[in-house]
Amino acid sequence: MSFLMQAFWAPLTETYFQKALIGGCAVALVSGVVGCLVVLRRMAFLGDALSHAMIAGVAGGYLAMKLLFGIEAHAPSMLLGSLLAAVLTVALIGLVSRVSRIKEDTAIGIMYTGVFALGVVVVSIFRQYIHIDLMHFIMGDILGVADSDLWASVLVCATVLSVLVLFFRHFQLATFDPVMAASTGLPVLLLDYALTSCVSLVVVSAVSMVGVILVVGLLITPAATAYLLSDRLDRMMGLAAVFGVTSVIGGLYLCVWLDSAGGGAVMLFCTLQFLVVLVVAPRYGLLARWLRMRRLVPQQVVEDVLITVLRQQRDTALPVLHQYVQVKQPGDLHKALRQMEQDGLISVSAQGYRLTEAGDKEARQVLRAHRLWESYLASIGTPREALHPTAHRLEHIRGDGTVDYLDEKLGQPKLDPHGQKIPPRQKNNNHHENEP
Amino acid sequence: METKKVPAIEVRHLTVSYGARPALLDVSVAIEQDQLVGVIGPNGSGKSTFIKAILGFVKPDVGEILIGGEDVQKAKGQVAYVPQRGAVDWDFPITVQEVALMGRYQRTPWYRNVSPEDREAAMEALGMVRMTDFANRQIGQLSGGQQQRVFLARALAQGADILLLDEPFAGVDAATERAILEVLERAKSAGKTLVVVHHDLTTAAEYFDNLILLKQRLYAYGPPSAVLHEELLSQVYEGRLRVFANLMAKEGAR
Repeated sequence: MSFLMQAFWAPLTETYFQKALIGGCAVALVSGVVGCLVVLRRMAFLGDALSHAMIAGVAGGYLAMKLLFGIEAHAPSMLLGSLLAAVLTVALIGLVSRVSRIKEDTAIGIMYTGVFALGVVVVSIFRQYIHIDLMHFIMGDILGVADSDLWASVLVCATVLSVLVLFFRHFQLATFDPVMAASTGLPVLLLDYALTSCVSLVVVSAVSMVGVILVVGLLITPAATAYLLSDRLDRMMGLAAVFGVTSVIGGLYLCVWLDSAGGGAVMLFCTLQFLVVLVVAPRYGLLARWLRMRRLVPQQVVEDVLITVLRQQRDTALPVLHQYVQVKQPGDLHKALRQMEQDGLISVSAQGYRLTEAGDKEARQVLRAHRLWESYLASIGTPREALHPTAHRLEHIRGDGTVDYLDEKLGQPKLDPHGQKIPPRQKNNNHHENEP
Repeated sequence: METKKVPAIEVRHLTVSYGARPALLDVSVAIEQDQLVGVIGPNGSGKSTFIKAILGFVKPDVGEILIGGEDVQKAKGQVAYVPQRGAVDWDFPITVQEVALMGRYQRTPWYRNVSPEDREAAMEALGMVRMTDFANRQIGQLSGGQQQRVFLARALAQGADILLLDEPFAGVDAATERAILEVLERAKSAGKTLVVVHHDLTTAAEYFDNLILLKQRLYAYGPPSAVLHEELLSQVYEGRLRVFANLMAKEGAR
């Protein structure tokens, strides 16, 4: 007990840990929420670009204040500078992709590396004026959060969150259907810029904690995790905020226990969280998908069972089915029988399986397909001994009026090549309608 | 009764261009109220641009568009739009009910929540297209026809008198096509004007009151019997008309 106490409680008493927790949670919360829109608009790459571009802005802001007023490391002006740099980068990207044949993703790649490089060069040229640690900028330092950073991040969190909550419907509509949004008079372009500004603000305040490289992860990973779990935007945003906060908390503990880099630990925890959800998500997860695939009964097995029972013309025992129905996997027949019972195609008695009325109808359609295919094969000169096995494979091709086509082409035969009666066409055979 | 009815949509000398190529050239047409109008023409003939211009989404180089006698830029929200199925992100985290509710957003000021009446109106619109049972489904879990109906419901919930539909019959089976058409006709009898981009000439005559035949220029506007003329169609569709020879024969036999 005391060990657990030590592991969880002790870090909380440290000031650096408290600050990291508060600042990190604020930033992660809002970046999760705004990240949802980033993910849904496929802007992830732009988020990455903004984080890199801001170094030029930070350097510019630093330099301006230093040279004009002699103030060292003035946080607000650096924040403003990075915002300006971000907006400028976005404008340049738009310009390049509009006026040339260069596509947007390439334009983003060109512009952000360019602006980032400019920032790096400026910082290194003016290194006697600017005391920015490039390494700190790239890797971040969540355990060394300054009070000014803390205030900035909390302020950003409050601002961005209010904008997103107040204009939730506008952002939702403009993201989902920009054409309709514009047609109802929403200022779509303005909303785009507002969102870009929000992303920039979040990125700028997150960079000091997790660094340039990892900030895009904080923006999109919690949102993507939530995307796997929710079918409504408001819930997705709520969940993304939760995942953002949990990754900061989990990551910080990881970091003190393992004595590792703070930003890295946070993002590692965040990614692990995503992977776990990717596997276990109830609808869109890998496990659910696998279970669905497993539960899926091959239509072919169902049809084979139907036709076997129909041919027997009495209650059919399981061994008979095993003899006539071919399955790929041993469990498939039982699965099919269970499913068919649920669907009301067959019923079970002591003597074996029997077709219900619906099952009988369905079975006759399969038989009709089988015998028409046989007739067709005979008409194109298939050897007699190959007729049955080939038709047995082909009888499952029944969609889109295939059977009716065969019927018409062969002149609506009454008997198949073996002299057996071909069942007539069933009228309302459209049980596939309205299925998603 | 009424001596002069204002046309629902009046397009005057509309020219829209993308670079040197005109997407639409000098198109003038007046669409009366309570009509089901089909817009036909070959691929790349400016059908979608025409719809977007009426929505006020593309800026005309020359010409004006009047919605109920008012300039289109001032008439925002009076025209409802049903997008092409390919233009929608079906993985978007949104339910059927929320999509319908979007139709009410324009009536809700930004500082207020969506009212219970709006929710009711959205559900009512879903009822009109028989999609109430699916209200809580995510839109990607529906069949093609159901998806189309949800967006119809959104357009109906908007309460606009004019509905624009971009290829609503593309990629749905015959039964679904019937179901959608039925909804369109009900909307028409409720006093809506519907403009539908359509690609299937064989059904155009049967579905619509009037047809607009477009290929950059306006080739014809009028009842199907007047528009679906071999001479006109061969002009617009050039070499691809052989497909319609059958149709022409049927039309003649009627």
